[in-house]
Amino acid sequence: MAFAYLATASVVAAVLAITRRNPVHSVLWALALFVHVAGIYLMAGAQFLAATQIIIYAGAILVFYLIILMLLDWTAEGAAQRYGAHWVLGVAASLGFIAVMVFALRSSRALAGRQPQINLWQPSVAEFGVKLFRGFAVPFEVASLILLAAIVGAVVLARRKTPLAQGTGTRSQRNP
Amino acid sequence: MAVSLNSFLLLSAVLFGIGMAGFLTRRNLILMLISVEIMLNAVNVSLAGFSMHLHDMGGQIFAVFVIAVATAEVAVGLGILIALQRSRPTAHIDELTQLKW
Repeated sequence: MAFAYLATASVVAAVLAITRRNPVHSVLWALALFVHVAGIYLMAGAQFLAATQIIIYAGAILVFYLIILMLLDWTAEGAAQRYGAHWVLGVAASLGFIAVMVFALRSSRALAGRQPQINLWQPSVAEFGVKLFRGFAVPFEVASLILLAAIVGAVVLARRKTPLAQGTGTRSQRNP
Repeated sequence: MAVSLNSFLLLSAVLFGIGMAGFLTRRNLILMLISVEIMLNAVNVSLAGFSMHLHDMGGQIFAVFVIAVATAEVAVGLGILIALQRSRPTAHIDELTQLKW
């Protein structure tokens, strides 16, 4: 029952997130979606994943989106066209994707026969940490490299390039 | 209480389809990025479901890596958006045609 509520709420929140005209409303509906998805992770026994989802997605990423939305000027956005000219094709493609996935689920013999057995597997966060740092230590370090590259890239992209600051040094050094 | 793997996969497929529809139909750059986030979340749901079904921690660990990559993608994507905003004050994708020939 809890899963049914979480699934319905996430689908509704996702649909609202992609159809609202105001980008701030969309971001807030996406926040509702991410919180409900965290509940779904809990039902799958992934406690650490649920906590990460709340902290990273709801806490960091969506706040970042909201800051960008408030930083920029969106007065022209209300008058702009909400959907592209080929929105029918886009919706048809996504409905086709869902239909193919449902067909694959129904026809998969490996999954169709399985009844929902009592799930005895209750993994702990400690187990997750041991597995992450023993078996996946190298991918973990690679992920930190990716994040470092993203931080540097974001700073370089968002930096204001004045003629004086271009090239060497910072602006304060060249322009006292 | 046990939930079958099929319900996780069905929910994942529906959420991915919604994100895909949003990415293909919306013309606002920020909304397209949010649609990408919805799709990444949908994939994470199926990873968590498989992890539960197979009693294997690997799915959850992979989902955490997906979240890390999604964070990097958001940082770079919004950095590009700010850089674009300098030259052209819009997030409307139809007006960003500098790279077209």
